[in-house]
Amino acid sequence: MKVVGITTQQEFFIGSKDRNFRINEFLIIQDPFQGDLLGEVVEAKTFNRYIPLNIYGDFVDNAVLESLKALGYDVDEDTIYICKVRLINEALYPVETGSDARLPKFEEVKDFMVRTYPEEGFVLGVIRNTDDMAFEMDEELKGILHTFEDGVLKEQRELPYIMDVKSMHHYPHIGIFGGSGSGKSFGLRVLLEEVMLKDIPTIVLDPHFEMDFSTIQSHFEDRKEIFKQKFKCLQVGSHVGVKFEDLRSGDLKNLLDAASPLTDAMNNVVDIIFRKKESYTSFSNRLKMLSEAQEAGSSGEIENRIRNAKNDDEKRAWEERRNMYQTYDKTCPYSSVRGVLWRLNRLYNEGIFSKDSREIESSLLDSKLVVIQGSTRILQVYSTYLLNTLYHRRRDYKDALYKQLPAEFFPPFLVVTDEAHNFAPKGYDSPSKSIIKEIAQEGRKYGVFLTLATQRPTLLDETVTAQLNTKFIFRTVRASDIDTIKEETDITFEEAKRLPYLRTGDVFISSAVVGRTIFARIRAAYSTSPHTLNPFDELWNKSKEDDDRYYDIIMKKLPISEVDMLNVIQEIEKEEGITLTLGRLEDKLQSLAKKQYIKKEETFLGYRYIKV
Amino acid sequence: MYSLNKDLSNRIKDVNTDLSNRFNSIFNKDKDRLRNFIQSNVGMILTLEKLTGSELEDIKIRGGLVGVDGSNNRMGGSYPHYIEAFQAMAKSTIRMNEPIFVSRVYTPLLDERIQNNLDTDEEIPEENKDSILAGLEVEAAIEAVKRLNPHIVLMDGGLIRYNIYAAEKWQELMLLCIEKDILLAGVIKDIKTSIIGDELKRSFKDINGILYDRELLYGLLNYGEYIPIGEDVNKKERKGYTSAFIRSSLLPMVIGLDILNEQGQYLEYISRLVLSLTPENSRGVPLWLDIVDKEVKISDDMLKALLERYLDRGIYQRFFVSERDKRS
Ligand SMILES: Nc1ncnc2c1ncn2[C@@H]1O[C@H](COP(=O)(O)OP(=O)(O)O)[C@@H](O)[C@H]1O
Ligand SMILES: [Mg+2]
Repeated sequence: MKVVGITTQQEFFIGSKDRNFRINEFLIIQDPFQGDLLGEVVEAKTFNRYIPLNIYGDFVDNAVLESLKALGYDVDEDTIYICKVRLINEALYPVETGSDARLPKFEEVKDFMVRTYPEEGFVLGVIRNTDDMAFEMDEELKGILHTFEDGVLKEQRELPYIMDVKSMHHYPHIGIFGGSGSGKSFGLRVLLEEVMLKDIPTIVLDPHFEMDFSTIQSHFEDRKEIFKQKFKCLQVGSHVGVKFEDLRSGDLKNLLDAASPLTDAMNNVVDIIFRKKESYTSFSNRLKMLSEAQEAGSSGEIENRIRNAKNDDEKRAWEERRNMYQTYDKTCPYSSVRGVLWRLNRLYNEGIFSKDSREIESSLLDSKLVVIQGSTRILQVYSTYLLNTLYHRRRDYKDALYKQLPAEFFPPFLVVTDEAHNFAPKGYDSPSKSIIKEIAQEGRKYGVFLTLATQRPTLLDETVTAQLNTKFIFRTVRASDIDTIKEETDITFEEAKRLPYLRTGDVFISSAVVGRTIFARIRAAYSTSPHTLNPFDELWNKSKEDDDRYYDIIMKKLPISEVDMLNVIQEIEKEEGITLTLGRLEDKLQSLAKKQYIKKEETFLGYRYIKV
Repeated sequence: MYSLNKDLSNRIKDVNTDLSNRFNSIFNKDKDRLRNFIQSNVGMILTLEKLTGSELEDIKIRGGLVGVDGSNNRMGGSYPHYIEAFQAMAKSTIRMNEPIFVSRVYTPLLDERIQNNLDTDEEIPEENKDSILAGLEVEAAIEAVKRLNPHIVLMDGGLIRYNIYAAEKWQELMLLCIEKDILLAGVIKDIKTSIIGDELKRSFKDINGILYDRELLYGLLNYGEYIPIGEDVNKKERKGYTSAFIRSSLLPMVIGLDILNEQGQYLEYISRLVLSLTPENSRGVPLWLDIVDKEVKISDDMLKALLERYLDRGIYQRFFVSERDKRS
């Protein structure tokens, strides 16, 4: 390997007759004047001056090549390998043409490649094309992970990529970009596994219901118990929600706004009518009474209703409406009151007020990973409240510490979300955006860190994007997203060109800590996504399950003849609590017969089903 | 767009008319007549078969094929402030045989013949250059024959040239080849002979001017045909060689082949080898010679890089950088 052609202080070419270069591989250039220089391959090419055989414009046919081969000369062997190398640190002078190049020893690149050891970092994957020096690395770095390639689990052959956790104090926020199917969610899963192993309190917003860690790849069965205790999956409405009594007027407005944008007048209605520590029922009742009074139309009409009340209860109710009406009608227009009520109802129906967020808070205090599941819209609503609450608890705690006031401990934590562009969209306001923006800008001070994944970096708020210090960039095909990535990260021109062709799970990691881009492959996850089942398999499994169930029930009743059917239906209903119509039982019998679990036969009384 | 000078274009049209008249008048575009004339006066027109796989294999076993070619390039200003590099190469098709290079550098500034005779402003004759190059090529070939013991040595160009410019060494090479049973041949892309034309003139007294073989043979032979030239018609100064014309590619031009008289019986064999190694869609030169040519070539860039690297900057600038170079 030698430096060839014209060189500069930063870039040059290296040629070799027998070594095919790999992109992102490191080389040491032995410059006779400047000493050893460390460079990285940024482009690799092979070249054969005779293939395609076009010498002086002549095209060469295969017959001639075969003849030459018979004479002992195989032109294929004339292939030479060329790579473009960029120095890690600029040299003082252009690199001497003709300098020898060699592969580095592990020690020589260690500082660039492995900044931390497994105990102190997230073991996320391998650094691509480093197998040549991997055998020299420290024992603690060997055999610490597997990769999953072409459907097979492989032993580690390359240097591990270990993300330094402590440096997150300086460079807290992480972005994960990549088109659909590029390996983002998988990468997120691996990151979260590491987060759990390091006992970092974490909130995950999971709109895809995929961040479950209870199923472990069979190869890693021994990890099962570890994860089981370290995460919790909670669904908004079913397991967690907002305790209405805890809401401040600002929180409530955020929630209502997230349900559907609030007008100024509606904001005003909340300010005027909402009372601190009020229950949901009380607040919603008062709004209802006010709106009913307004529907009545006038004080006169309300007095009328009081006078004509059929009983005391009704009378009292209208008296209350009258009071509401007199206090609030001037300041709270009917349409705005209805608007607030409608939004409030919507949230209520989604179950948001039926639970509270205690479980989340206590899990964070236990250093657990809390996965919060719900539709994107619900999560938008809920995360607005939740992140505000959690972030402020942490902030209040830190501020109190600073002021040397007594305070209740609240831990630092990580906020992770997929489809981040839905939570902090570019170009328009959304309630969750302001809290995410705040964390992006101020979170470092308080130890609140973001990890935002999105397939559309272009749609993510640019202030937020600018705060992401470490970026994982998976395969990206869309030109506008590639442009955004070029602007927002320090990936090189050559790397950007490769983005559309990356294999699933391969990733450029552009990190402010390292100051350069690393080409890596995410390791095999220990756990599997609950959706790894192919949807068609899922369908078939389901129908198989159904079959099995009916098979058992029906077998007990065989033989079943045409005239028995109604009796059989009644018996099944009594014994199994399953109600079947005549048609449905027929269907089941036919389908079981078709699958040859049972047999249909003709008798003089018509047909009947019997055992095979 | 170039601005066209009407007069110039007319003059070029005239050339076209004159040249086409010259041919049409002689042959009336009658291909067969000319082919017949050649068959009865110059040599048979025969069809070649490509060598078979086992024949090629056999060449390998007997030591393979060595191609020999040379190249020169110069840099600097006008006489005597230039420097000229020459190199010749012999490359074997047997890959483990390293190619053999021999080279020389010449500058009039260090030529004693000139330095002793400073008052003549005479540039050394072109001949000098030719003899350096021919000499190097023969040296490379001799080296290859001695070291590699190939079955065939193929020179780029006709063999007469070596008699003229490197007689002594050439003699040595020929003897070596004959002694070691190594076939020595030369392939001529640009044939400059007028063998057929001279025969025509002998038969048809009214033809005047020189008629070159390349003009006459253009499009006359079919792909794979060749004409072994009768010994008696091979001109006096070509004495010692047995020659042939070969249509070795689909393009209409024809190439020439020289071998030693002593090895005359291999004319067809070598012609078949040439056909086998020539790409159908090329201008007729065996690929091996093209490969050697490419490798031996001293490009401008390469020469410049060499001079810049190995001459002191002052020396390079003072002696060899011309006004024209500085400007560019
Ligand atoms: N590092 C990896 N190693 C092996 N398989 C992977 C890797 N990353 C992703 N995959 C597989 O590729 C598919 C798509 O990955 P996923 O993470 O769901 O993509 P995305 O979230 O970007 O749409 C999944 O089936 C996943 O199992
Ligand atoms: Mg995904």
